Amino acid sequence: MNPAFLNKIKRNDRIARWVITIGGLAIIFSVIFILILIAKVSLPLFLSPDKDLYASFQLNADSAADKIVALGMDEYLETGYTIDQTGKFEFFSVVDGAVLDVEQIVSETGSSRLISAQSYGRLKHVLIWDDGSLTINQVSFFSSFDEKSNNHRTIRHRIEQLATFPAPAGDMPIQSLARVDEEGRRVRVDLFQDGTLQATVVEESESLFGDAELVETTQPLEVASTGHISAMSLSTAGDKLYAGTDQGEILRWDLSAGEKPVLEEVTQAFSDQREITALNMVFGDISLIVGDCQGGLTTWFPVRNTESGWKLTKIHTLRGHSQPIDYVSPTLHDKSVVSSAGDGMQLSHMTSERFLVGISPTEEKISRYALTTRGNGVITLSDNGRIVSWKLHIPHPEISLKTLFGKVWYEGYAEPTYSWQSSASTDDYEAKLSLTPLIFGTLKGTFYAMLFALPLAIFGAIYTSQFARPKFKGIIKPAVEVMAAVPTVIIGFLAALWLAPLIERSLGSMFLSLILIPAALMISIALWQAARKIETLKQIERGYEFLVIAPVLIMAVAIAIVLGSGLEHWLFDGDLKQWLFTETGTHYDPRNCIIIAFAMGFAVIPIIFTISEDALSNVPPSLKAASLALGASRWQTVWRVILPSASPGIFAGTMIGFGRAVGETMIVLMATGNTAIMDLSIFNGMRPLSANIAVEIPEAPVDGTLYRTLFLTAVILFVMTFIVNTVAEIVRQRLRAKYGRF
Amino acid sequence: MTATKIENPIIQVDDLKFYYPGNARALHGINLSFPEKQVTALIGPSGCGKSTLIRCFNRMNDLIDSCRVEGEIFLEGENIYGRRTDIIELRRKVGMVFQKSNPFPKSIYENVIYGLRIAGEKDKKLFDERVESSLKAAALWDEVKDRLQESALGLSGGQMQRLCIARAIAVNPKVILMDEPCSALDPKSTARVEETIKELRNDYTIIIVTHNMQQAARVSDFTAFLFEGNLIEFGVTDQLFVKPQNKQTEDYITGRFG
Amino acid sequence: MAMKTKMMDKYWRVGEPMVWFSAAALAATLLTAFVLLIVIMVNGLGVFWPSDLQQLKLKDGSLVIGELIRTEPTADKSGLRRQYKIANRDLYGLDFRWIDEAQIVSEQTPQQLLVLERIEHGDFFGELKNIQVNGELKPGSLAELNAAVDNVGNELQVLEELENKLNDASYQMERLRLKVLKLDYKKVPADDQARIKLNHEKTKLDSNFNHLVKVQTNRVTRVRQDKAIFADAKGQEKEIVLADIVQVYAPNQMTVIDKSIFYAKKLGELFVGEPRESNTEGGLFPAIFGTVMLIFVMSLFSFPLGVIAAVYLREYANEGLLVRIVRIAVNNLAGIPSIVYGIFGLSFFIYGIGHGIDSFFFPERLPTPTFGTGGLLWASLTLALLTVPVVIVSTEEALGAIPREMREGSYALGSTKFQTLVRILLPMASPGIMTGLILAMARAAGEVAPLMLTGVVKLAPALPIDGNFPFFHLDRKFMHLGFHIYDIGFQSPNVEAAKPMVFVTTLLLVLIVLIMSSVAIYLRNKMKKRYTFGTF
Repeated sequence: MNPAFLNKIKRNDRIARWVITIGGLAIIFSVIFILILIAKVSLPLFLSPDKDLYASFQLNADSAADKIVALGMDEYLETGYTIDQTGKFEFFSVVDGAVLDVEQIVSETGSSRLISAQSYGRLKHVLIWDDGSLTINQVSFFSSFDEKSNNHRTIRHRIEQLATFPAPAGDMPIQSLARVDEEGRRVRVDLFQDGTLQATVVEESESLFGDAELVETTQPLEVASTGHISAMSLSTAGDKLYAGTDQGEILRWDLSAGEKPVLEEVTQAFSDQREITALNMVFGDISLIVGDCQGGLTTWFPVRNTESGWKLTKIHTLRGHSQPIDYVSPTLHDKSVVSSAGDGMQLSHMTSERFLVGISPTEEKISRYALTTRGNGVITLSDNGRIVSWKLHIPHPEISLKTLFGKVWYEGYAEPTYSWQSSASTDDYEAKLSLTPLIFGTLKGTFYAMLFALPLAIFGAIYTSQFARPKFKGIIKPAVEVMAAVPTVIIGFLAALWLAPLIERSLGSMFLSLILIPAALMISIALWQAARKIETLKQIERGYEFLVIAPVLIMAVAIAIVLGSGLEHWLFDGDLKQWLFTETGTHYDPRNCIIIAFAMGFAVIPIIFTISEDALSNVPPSLKAASLALGASRWQTVWRVILPSASPGIFAGTMIGFGRAVGETMIVLMATGNTAIMDLSIFNGMRPLSANIAVEIPEAPVDGTLYRTLFLTAVILFVMTFIVNTVAEIVRQRLRAKYGRF
Repeated sequence: MTATKIENPIIQVDDLKFYYPGNARALHGINLSFPEKQVTALIGPSGCGKSTLIRCFNRMNDLIDSCRVEGEIFLEGENIYGRRTDIIELRRKVGMVFQKSNPFPKSIYENVIYGLRIAGEKDKKLFDERVESSLKAAALWDEVKDRLQESALGLSGGQMQRLCIARAIAVNPKVILMDEPCSALDPKSTARVEETIKELRNDYTIIIVTHNMQQAARVSDFTAFLFEGNLIEFGVTDQLFVKPQNKQTEDYITGRFG
Repeated sequence: MAMKTKMMDKYWRVGEPMVWFSAAALAATLLTAFVLLIVIMVNGLGVFWPSDLQQLKLKDGSLVIGELIRTEPTADKSGLRRQYKIANRDLYGLDFRWIDEAQIVSEQTPQQLLVLERIEHGDFFGELKNIQVNGELKPGSLAELNAAVDNVGNELQVLEELENKLNDASYQMERLRLKVLKLDYKKVPADDQARIKLNHEKTKLDSNFNHLVKVQTNRVTRVRQDKAIFADAKGQEKEIVLADIVQVYAPNQMTVIDKSIFYAKKLGELFVGEPRESNTEGGLFPAIFGTVMLIFVMSLFSFPLGVIAAVYLREYANEGLLVRIVRIAVNNLAGIPSIVYGIFGLSFFIYGIGHGIDSFFFPERLPTPTFGTGGLLWASLTLALLTVPVVIVSTEEALGAIPREMREGSYALGSTKFQTLVRILLPMASPGIMTGLILAMARAAGEVAPLMLTGVVKLAPALPIDGNFPFFHLDRKFMHLGFHIYDIGFQSPNVEAAKPMVFVTTLLLVLIVLIMSSVAIYLRNKMKKRYTFGTF
């Protein structure tokens, strides 16, 4: 042999070995890769939030810390500002404290000294002047990109006075709150030394002549508490007022009608009468954050109660502080809560009850802090005059295992629920991402489908492999395999647009056929017992039974169709659906579990059938012969000998069919109502995991919480099918090893 | 053990031990020499290791994962289990015919020249010559010369086996190993194959494994009797069958066991 | 009697009724499949048959022209009611109407009733009144109308060529725009040679484009001057521009042969025509084309990858725990829900690789994505992953079915592993490999869920292949028969009117998939027989 050629073929052989080995392994590892990649996308949901020290500097002496009443920062963490007691806004670079700009604000009444300031909303500051007047000033930042100098970002700022309030007549208030809403409605609430409260509402109203005029009403508020008011909070729109007392009570007023403020409720929030030290409202103005003197942090909102109407109820308990809480505030883009106490400040999420980030300096006490509007940074001022800014990275505060799988008490709900509702029209809407109803939906759909498919597939396989004539077997098996190839989009379409209306129209017939078909079978079997005495007819028992029984089935269904409507008329006043609703309270959903059972059952029958049939056919014929030779009947042989040997294969087929049903998307997408409810009723639809992904992912912003949650559902689907398939596959390999081939 | 001395053996086996996976020893140290251009038969009861032994000569056992060979086999003085042995060259020198005939699902013509093709041969004339000579040598030419381009799968069992012989000799091997070549054939086909073997002995060294003692007696010049992985007796066929030196051999030949 | 009961007891005990029950289970399964096929056939095959138009006179004296769709009992079961397609969506708002049989006084099938297939607003049923060609209005016959429509059709063809030119021009303009963007991105100064050249080209193209637009507008106005006046059942007149008419026929005048020819013509149109009326009418060409392209590109990936993986598993890997695990993994890959593949394709191919390609090769086009959005390539790759296990499993099975003697025979003649593989094993396994490939293709043809995430659209603006460089546009979005069904069946505003088209598409898809898988299964069974019973 030519040595050169020999070398060549040997080289080719080596190359081929490498290519095939590497290629083969690469393809195989891609399975694991898929799981890793999907899991990687969903993993950030569970990462703990980070904080990074961004910058820190010491204020110069003349703007000492005790003079500063408020501070703030832009969302790029570039420009910060402080407001001092003289009404001076000083803008500085966050990084090094270099002063960028100074702006002086004076009160309309000419006062130039501030007592205090409160912040709310998007960098809005309520400034309380020493003559009792108030102003609301808003700082806004604008970023612009300079095209000339390589798209450099510059940030400009502006201070806008949104509203002014004159001083109240009489005494100086000891505490004042003020809000202004988008229509210009202004609300001011004052608490006086003697414990009285007074609300002043200024709103535009149409006069008799059609002109707009400002109407100011000042009304005292009813205070019906045993303790003294120790904390107050006013909603962003100024229509709801809450106050806490030193006896642990919470009072709730409705200020939406200016001339008639109503004290709606006084609730003893804490039975141990601890003092409420801080109050504020969570973004969206529904929940109330309550901080108390023992460092406890809770959120509350009014829940409708049948006896007493709306009653403030404690909903979430967050991780508290070790010292009395000084101040609580909401974040501006989600339902997180910021709280500060002697031991530092911290961020928690209300709904998930997750502790997110804590900042607790060791030697200095934080006296003031402010969050950026996007919640990506926080700036703090210590009582030593040190300004520290932190970068916050809190990707998915609302997600915890509890919100994903447990019952969660969402704002505005009467009780904790499992709920999936990913989006709504408003900004402050909180996505409800409980996966439990989806997993429930998947299992429910699968359960009904298997209920329909399993008996048909397994008994069909038994008949085909054991009783049917070989020539039929040669046709039936491929026919069923071809059935497996019918695209599920077609099954789903037929189920939704043909079967669903059909069943809705003839529900009575359907139920009737459930009775008639077994009855017809029994009768025909009994009749057969008589007929089989005739020798020629007995030939049918050699594998022609299914041909004979088919017309019986058709007849039974036909009779059910004919009788069904009459029966419905007679028993249920002509409308079974209506009867169901009035008698049992079950709502009939046209796309329901019956449809799913038929459609998805039809989709998985071929898989279960094929694998079971293979398993049954591969039981060695000698076993069968031995049993028959002992005088067992053909069914006894099947039941006691063949089925036990083939049961691992049938089990594997069932598992694989189950996996298929779990992951099926198009059928459930089209033939269920896609309503994420948890209801076992066969007349209702559901929303399974797979359909949920298909419905939601086009709307989900990339790398957002919803997007990652959908990936998590994909992981769950993957894991569910993976376990089921692996079990089935191991069983099958065992079987294969036993009988040579499967 | 009785040894018959062979001058200038083409294959010499020195203390060959063979282990199947799991350290199950199938051969316990075989010493044997095979004469050139003679037919040597390996006989013995099933599982005595004769097939294992014959598969060592062209290293077919390499296909079994994690089996182990100890000892040496020399083909024309070269150790085939040596480090520098080229397994492909070896197999071209040592052809093999299997128990179950295995023509490829190709034409008769392509089957015969398969060995040439994979060696990179492209000469059409050589192919034609080789097909004719090999088929003639395998005594198949007359039966198939008109349908060389037809599928080999259409041949009868005996024809298929002779085609496999033709396929093996088409590459001009020195040795042809035959692993129970007639076990799946009817008596008539067996006779034809045996005829073929007898004719081939002039040109090739043939080692044939058989469990049919009559066949060994009919076709072989030398016979080796193996039992439970040991070589019991080796000698000229006529002598071994007529006057076995060993009790076990006698028992086997006379049909007391096996 | 006692005797009889005893016999009956025995009959039950030996389980004979259970045999019958299992027979019933099989019969039920087969019947379900049969019913499914029948439903699709009945609803799909009849769509293009030109049924007679009936003119009904109702009790209230009104006249209705319509095509009978079906008859069923009324809600209170007292009589029958019929569903008619009354068409004329632009006049009545609804295409379908239920009429109680009790309401019908008389029904006729007048010869002169016409069906107009229109580009917009669905069909029109009515009578021809006048034809207005070249400005003159005169009463006309069906033949004259047909001639006029044909005339206009020729005009329209010219217009279509013009349209193509316009499309080309706008494509060129888009390319120029992207080139300019690239220059912008690279900060090429305004006085650069390349930029000047581009600007020059742009002005030329612009003027050419404007000219074409002007010509087109003129011709369109002229074509749209030819009209015909029709009257509906109530005698209400309706003026229809001839250019909007796809075809006119009078079903009541047609013989069965005429109708058969008509049917065949419509069937042909289905395969080559473009969809109209948000896909509920017209042809399926882009969807068929998209499906074929998808299958083709997918096969390019899944076929070699699947075969290599199977060869590795069966011929090269050492049998052991690892291979067992791997085999489980492969079978698992086949069992992963397709939507999970879709989500993988979305994150890995589109947001991963696609974004990478975009920011590396087409940074100037961002944020408009080129490959960073769903497209044919990504959908094909996703489907390839999905179907690779099918190819692996059947190739492995085919290789495993080849007797060991074949390999030994080849090795004994001194061939290498690779030679054995290429010359003996792969040719012998080819029917099995083909089976796997065909099954994979059938799966790809019917799979919809992953495509919805990776690039299928209800109406693709352009085919993935065209005359513009580089001819194959794998980044383009595409249409697909399966998604077509989902889309027009569930997303279309007028579900009732869309139904016929959904059934036709369903029928087509079912036929494609069933034929493909039947062939695959036939091949496989044939191969099985050859290796199981054949003697060598």
